[in-house]
Amino acid sequence: MEMKDLIQIETPKLTLFVPELIVLITGFVLFSLDIIYKRLSHTLAISISVIGYTLALLYLIFNFDLRGETFYGLYVRDSFSSLLQVFMILLTIILLAFTLQYQKFKRSLYGEFYYLLAFSLFGSMVLASSYNLLLIYTALEAVSVSFYILTALQRGDFTSKEGAFKYLILGGLAIALASYGAVFLYIYAGSFDLRHVLHFNAPDKSFLILGLVFFLFGLAIKIGVVPFHFWLPDAYQGAPTPITAYMSSVGKIAFFAPVLRVMPLVQESFHNTWILAVGTLAVITFLYGNFVALVQKDVKRMLAYSSIAHSGYILAGVSVASSIGLKAVIYFLLAYSIMGMLGFLVLAVLERSGDWENKLEDFDGLKHSQSFMAWIFAIALLSLLGVPPTVGFLVKALVFMSLAYGKLWWIGILMIIGIGASTGYYLRLVMLMFMKEGERRAIANPTGFEKASMVLMAASLLILGILPMLLWNYISPTSEMLFRR
Amino acid sequence: MELVPAVFPFIPLSIVLPLLGIVLIVFLEEKFAKWIALVFSGTVLVLSLVSLFYFDFSQAQKVQFYQSVTLIKELNLSLSFGVDGLSYLMYILTTLVSFVAICWSIKDRQINHRLKEYYAWFLLSESAVVGVFTSWDMLVFYVFYELTLVPMFFVIGIWGYKLRLYSAYKFFVYIFVSSLFLLLGIVSVAVEHYRQFGKFSFSYFDLLQNQYSLAFGLFLFLLFFIAFAVKTPIVPFHTWLPDAHGEAPTAGSVVLAAILLKMGTYALLRFNIGLFPKVAVFLMPILVLWGIATTIFASWFTISQSNVKRFVAYSSISHMGFVVTGMFLLNKEGLRASIMEMFAHGLTSASLFMMAGFIYNRLHSFNMQALRGSIRFMPMFAILTAITGFSSMGLPGGSSFWGKFLTIMGAREYTLQLALLVLAGAFFSVLYVLYLLKTLYLDVKEESMLVHFTDVRGFKLVAFLLVVVPMLMVGLLPFLFFSFFDTHIDLLLATISKSLEGGLWK
Repeated sequence: MEMKDLIQIETPKLTLFVPELIVLITGFVLFSLDIIYKRLSHTLAISISVIGYTLALLYLIFNFDLRGETFYGLYVRDSFSSLLQVFMILLTIILLAFTLQYQKFKRSLYGEFYYLLAFSLFGSMVLASSYNLLLIYTALEAVSVSFYILTALQRGDFTSKEGAFKYLILGGLAIALASYGAVFLYIYAGSFDLRHVLHFNAPDKSFLILGLVFFLFGLAIKIGVVPFHFWLPDAYQGAPTPITAYMSSVGKIAFFAPVLRVMPLVQESFHNTWILAVGTLAVITFLYGNFVALVQKDVKRMLAYSSIAHSGYILAGVSVASSIGLKAVIYFLLAYSIMGMLGFLVLAVLERSGDWENKLEDFDGLKHSQSFMAWIFAIALLSLLGVPPTVGFLVKALVFMSLAYGKLWWIGILMIIGIGASTGYYLRLVMLMFMKEGERRAIANPTGFEKASMVLMAASLLILGILPMLLWNYISPTSEMLFRR
Repeated sequence: MELVPAVFPFIPLSIVLPLLGIVLIVFLEEKFAKWIALVFSGTVLVLSLVSLFYFDFSQAQKVQFYQSVTLIKELNLSLSFGVDGLSYLMYILTTLVSFVAICWSIKDRQINHRLKEYYAWFLLSESAVVGVFTSWDMLVFYVFYELTLVPMFFVIGIWGYKLRLYSAYKFFVYIFVSSLFLLLGIVSVAVEHYRQFGKFSFSYFDLLQNQYSLAFGLFLFLLFFIAFAVKTPIVPFHTWLPDAHGEAPTAGSVVLAAILLKMGTYALLRFNIGLFPKVAVFLMPILVLWGIATTIFASWFTISQSNVKRFVAYSSISHMGFVVTGMFLLNKEGLRASIMEMFAHGLTSASLFMMAGFIYNRLHSFNMQALRGSIRFMPMFAILTAITGFSSMGLPGGSSFWGKFLTIMGAREYTLQLALLVLAGAFFSVLYVLYLLKTLYLDVKEESMLVHFTDVRGFKLVAFLLVVVPMLMVGLLPFLFFSFFDTHIDLLLATISKSLEGGLWK
């Protein structure tokens, strides 16, 4: 590389970066307001957040075709990042409809919630749009640190603190591993840019392998892939339920985004190793997640394990390092973010009824006392199970298709076993809600906003399943684009 | 296969109208629910009967009323509906039986709570089953195939008898898990099309062109077969059926036995034989013997039942054994027998389940002992039961006669011994029907148990007649029904012999 190239000054193209900037500014506004006014009105904070996020969302949607790189290639805006960011922001806005009532009920109204949410959203958005290891590392920290605090937000609750502490320790380990991996990759290729690193051809590839392994292990801990999943059920169970919903949707998209950027760049010569490594992890993940979820008595924990299992299905798609696999995976990730979030949000609403403990018995005959909630929850569960015509079915079919494409029959057959096990717990819940007579009467009254958002999400589960082209027409070119890199 | 475009959207309307009915049921008061359901399913029945005038029977092997909308171009995923002779017969059976089930439910005393849901589920199942029999896109077929599970799961679980939760759960898990193999099979076939022709496709017509090596074909065949063998069911996989059929409310059992089982056999014929003719030929001896074994074992199981609903449920399995046997004989008589038996069993099993439900409403028991002699004082019911029983038995003139007779004929084309084996199956299936009839007609009840029952009338009579009259038609005017599917069979046999050019092992 010539000296001239190195010192070339690039004017940052801020237009590419506007959505993130808006979210970041929203975060700082909330931060300053929280410091200045000791007792910040929560309605005001929510309004500011929603206005900020909506502006970012509108900018994104109206400039959906925005493409380019800035900050010397640190930051990339392509259809992949735009697509993921649209989902992230949308889900965050929906989440804000649920938080206030829940926190009021749990007596954990804190102003830091809003700016932490904004910062983690900012981090997630950056994670979705970078190839640079350093930036990925920084964004990972931004998301994780916010998540640790958000998990511990229920200050009076022991499980909340326990979960946060576990998350902090293992999450810190993950980030250390990821940064270690980044260093190895830098040694290998002399660059932090993943595209450069993975296309670099040195005779000795040991540093590449070491680096990739460490880097992906770090991300695997964050995602909750099985041998590294131990923090996840505790953190998910301990966190305030809307936060759990947030971590399982936006957090999942964010942590998967770098993996999906790496996947198309894996060289042909590595494919067999990649398939074996990722495929094995995937199989262990979904089998473990499903079978352990099967014996849970606590529904929130059950859904946490189901979230692990779904990471496994997504990884199964990732293991097929081909374009069809990436399409399936992106679709799956987006679909899961909706249905996983909906599942937790239903719990968040139900928890507001008196002595509700998320136990299986609490769901007996829910249909009679809370017809609306029961139907919404049933749609979410059937979608998680993969019953057509919900989107959960479609994405599983696509993953099967990519497995067939890669001739990975063994993963396919094992996945059938995994899904078979999952039938047990999803269906049990539906059965308890609709077919049993319970003495308990849930008294949660969802507000109008909550009802509207839940209906919207449930409807989108059905619509995306029945009319797949709505999302597919964006996903397909995105995947092709990532493979051309 | 050739396609004939639709002059009028019969099929999409048959799928959409019940859904429209559901919307009305949800938003109107509960007291209207049953009438809305009746009107909408009745309309669909009329629609399907009117479509008879537009169906070209001389070209029944072609897919008629064909309509298609592309969903994802890249994957060739489309909503494409249409009927050839085989699916047309099943389509008419579906609309008929769905109407009968709803007609029956109106005066069923079991159904006294959560009426809105009840009728909504039945309309959904009608819509889904019509979708199963008429879609030509494999993934869409699968969607409908799985969708039929949901309504039946709720119907069994909410309005069923004592063991309803267990049965509903078992039913769903068995079918759902086995169908996942089908899903893997379907996407594999679509991917195989990509390997051979350079584009993905879920369209049945495209997938017919795929060529498979025997080993890979066998693997795919098995993926499909697991799902349909559980659905049909074939004997070691049948354990969900007596529970589900035995615990479901009457109308639920009617729909389950009369049309949901046909999905399994229909799909075996359409996909397992249609897509993998070579493998079907390869596996023919095993599958034929398996079918015969199913018949014989299921007949034995049937005789040993003391619960009349489980009795009828097991008898369904034995009939399905005939369907499978006939189908995998892979000759003209066998295939005719198989399709004829599918239709005939749809009618007789519906009638038998209604009979069991009818007696339960009067006796509050399914016990065979309590049933003894209960046919007295109900002349109309006695006549209907007798016709149903003899039809199910396979008496000449009864509807199942053609299924059994032609299966034996088909088996005779191979060897006499095979024909005798089939005959043995037929013998045992006669035995249990006779046993049932004996219990109902000839055994005498103790004096104290003699109650004056009211005879069948009103909506229930209509429901009975709607299946008994076609039953007689099948028995006495079989050529009407042969004209539906004979050309289809010829086409299928031609495909099979064409696929064998160059030998089985190629």
